[in-house]
Amino acid sequence: MARYGMLINTKKCIGCYACRTACQRQNDLLPDESFIRFEEREVGKYPNVTVEHIPLQCMHCEDAPCASVCPTGAAHMGSDGIVEVDHGRCIGCLYCMAACPYQVRTRNSKTGEVDKCRFCTLSSYENGTKMCSCVDACLTGARIFGDLDDSDSEISKEIARTGAAPIAGDLTRAKIYYVR
Amino acid sequence: MSGHALTRRSFLVGSAGVAAVAAGAGLVSLSVRGEADADAETDKRTEVVHSLCNSCSSKCGYYAYVVDGELTKLIGDEAHPNAQGKLCARGYGYSQIAYSPDRLTDPMKKNENGEFEVIGWDQALSEIGQKVNDIIAQYGPEALAMVQDPRPSGKYYTKRFMNALGSPNVYTHGAACNLSKESGFTQAIGAANFESDVANSKMTMFIGRSYADAIRPSSVAALQQAHENGAHIVLVDPRLNNSIAFADEWVPINPGTDLALILAMSNVLINRDLYDAEYVAANSVGFDEWASAIAGYTPEWAEGITGIPAADIERLALEFAEAAPAASIEPSWRGAFGCSYANSGETARALCLFNTLLGCWNQPGGALFLPSVKAGDLDPAKFPEVPKVEAKMWGAEEYPLALSSMGTNLYVAEMAKEGKVKGLFFYNSNMAAGYSNPAQLAEDFANLDLMVVVDVQMSETAMLADYVLPECSYLERRELPEFVGGRVPVVSLRDQVLEVIHPNTRPVDVIFTQLAEACGVGQYFPFTVDELADAQLRSVGTSLDELRQVGTISFPEKAYAYGKVPEWKTPTGKIQFTSEACEAAGLSACPVWVEPQVMPNETVGEFRLIGGKQAIHTHTQTANCEPLMDITKSYGLDRIWINAEVAERLGIADGDEVILSNTMAEGPIKVKVTERINPTAIYMPSHYGCKSPDQRTAYGVGLNFMDFVPFHMEPAYGSAMTQETLVSVQKVGE
Repeated sequence: MARYGMLINTKKCIGCYACRTACQRQNDLLPDESFIRFEEREVGKYPNVTVEHIPLQCMHCEDAPCASVCPTGAAHMGSDGIVEVDHGRCIGCLYCMAACPYQVRTRNSKTGEVDKCRFCTLSSYENGTKMCSCVDACLTGARIFGDLDDSDSEISKEIARTGAAPIAGDLTRAKIYYVR
Repeated sequence: MSGHALTRRSFLVGSAGVAAVAAGAGLVSLSVRGEADADAETDKRTEVVHSLCNSCSSKCGYYAYVVDGELTKLIGDEAHPNAQGKLCARGYGYSQIAYSPDRLTDPMKKNENGEFEVIGWDQALSEIGQKVNDIIAQYGPEALAMVQDPRPSGKYYTKRFMNALGSPNVYTHGAACNLSKESGFTQAIGAANFESDVANSKMTMFIGRSYADAIRPSSVAALQQAHENGAHIVLVDPRLNNSIAFADEWVPINPGTDLALILAMSNVLINRDLYDAEYVAANSVGFDEWASAIAGYTPEWAEGITGIPAADIERLALEFAEAAPAASIEPSWRGAFGCSYANSGETARALCLFNTLLGCWNQPGGALFLPSVKAGDLDPAKFPEVPKVEAKMWGAEEYPLALSSMGTNLYVAEMAKEGKVKGLFFYNSNMAAGYSNPAQLAEDFANLDLMVVVDVQMSETAMLADYVLPECSYLERRELPEFVGGRVPVVSLRDQVLEVIHPNTRPVDVIFTQLAEACGVGQYFPFTVDELADAQLRSVGTSLDELRQVGTISFPEKAYAYGKVPEWKTPTGKIQFTSEACEAAGLSACPVWVEPQVMPNETVGEFRLIGGKQAIHTHTQTANCEPLMDITKSYGLDRIWINAEVAERLGIADGDEVILSNTMAEGPIKVKVTERINPTAIYMPSHYGCKSPDQRTAYGVGLNFMDFVPFHMEPAYGSAMTQETLVSVQKVGE
């Protein structure tokens, strides 16, 4: 069993939204349905200022709050540490959206079902992309996907090298690591 | 449709980084709904077709995946020099235009009540043909003109159509883009553009250009490479743009004063004898004249104009000298001096002269002239030559420095007002919203006897037309091959990805061929786009069939090599510190300080309005694209930027609504309060304020930048001077 996660290096993020539109295009999402949301943070005062762009998406928490509140089991921990949504079971109650501390779940405006980042690389081998769409699309290589339990994986090495950490400390046991 | 099934192209798929599919024999499902669906749907037919993006002028190559006729995925073409395997946000999002519910679907004619009525193609073509011939008979062919935003087929067919009618008046959108820059460069170095070797530089300065906001993937990669190599990257910009992720320094210059910075840095290099005197002596004319003309432009002088401390200007100049020749000022695109100010063309000229002081032309890390390939001569029996048009295009005399390959179409609007231009065609151009003072442009165009717009959606320009001809989208047509310059030049193809969605839309080549026939000049179009494409490709040793198989073909025998002294294609055959043409046009022979036309007076609450691209939009053409506009709406990207200290003084908080106004226009808009902008400027993104109700996604979002810009043209160069305008703000409710 693998335990998949992602690293996002905000020092390399130029805030261009290519990850968002690639995700939508390759995963056939609606235009107003985005699995990635963005925060922007200015640091300093004019003219000594810089800016940080922070893409946020499902953190695939091991203690996923969405799964704990889901009344039907639609939101659940799947294999390889990937939090999944079983659309057949989703009743659109939106509890999961309220429970997610990162506010990265989205409601499909056509079906009413809730959805979010699927770590699409695992299905993408059949779909024509070799990697998660956002990782593939990133112009600057700010994203790395891989197995956190494999100490030889690129992501594990990069976390060790950079000291990358979840965005909100131990708020949840998140599996997206940030370099900031 | 290409008819190429996936199996035939499986080798391509591998090169595009799609290894898994290559293994599949037969037709492989690319369903995106997950593994279970994929198994259940293996009877689906998948094709992979090479195309070129149409969301900006970079026209990046990609492979489009089409499953049962529906577009599913886009994978950037690694062989395309601009894409290098990647696409920007627009590349993915703009593809949705093919399926837009707001597409133009039928030819339309405006009736006496000013309403559009659907008509048939035969009627549209014959009526336009009749009117064109009436105009020629009464006023001559010079009364006809064309404005187009260059695209592979469009630039060929529109020019050929106009020339066949006897008119020289073919214009690009340069006057509102990069006309001043490319015309200024041409005066100095005899080339309209160059490319900074950013990745290998020790120092590169960007002036008003942000690779991270107006994205070409290969440029972003080069900037990142430079940063990782430890290059000193300097951003000169009234705004802290997003390239700062890979830059070391933001120089928040007062907008409109870049020329003063360049002149002062040049002054430092010359005064301290830190320039490449040998290179200058061997390659240029007029240096002494320029050196004495700029003797007074000290860093202290420039500080008062630019707002940049003299010590910083001096330091930057010294750092350049240290880094030379692996250093340059990057050429920019539209940025600060493509068309913005009264001194834009002269800024461009000075930039080339500064780079000359560094001796950096064609040096590793310097400023390069990269090769490109073009089609050779074709069989005149099959592709008859159009007789050369002797007349000069409108504006060539009044704006003599404007490159004839672009021209200044603003002058054409003037000529429409004066009744000298009677028939005007637009292809892929929304001039009536994207150029200064749209209200006046609309009045000017109202004087025309004939206005024809070819587009995919009801642009503001189309709204003004007598006839609107619907084109199929870029995904629904095959175009002429696109020759792309670079380290290794290539030719790349926009093949037809999708079947035509709306049966009454037609591709650009067919539209202009049929228009030519209707106007009585069909004899110059006795070929199909495929025949022409194949002939062009055979002239460079390949063929349409071959290019359709691989998408992009490179010419390694033409690859770039460092070190070659360029052939300076100026009248003197040298780099021109002094230009007779500039002098004849009423400018200084060598570039000296030119004041912007207007400067903000802070004490009366004036700010300079500055524009600029966001990474998700191009011009006004992408605003109606839902995946892109949803980002704008989600993050309030239509807001204007105001400096935090200024906002506090005016009692404006982040997210407040203000009335932005000047003598031209006023309108409500929300504010982004930010530390990222020079206090003398207000930034408004250039993509919004759509006034076409038929563009239901874009309509009414934000304000149109150009509504606030007076109609005027840069002396000698003819650009729109889009940032020579002042505005003030008033908080709503006060």
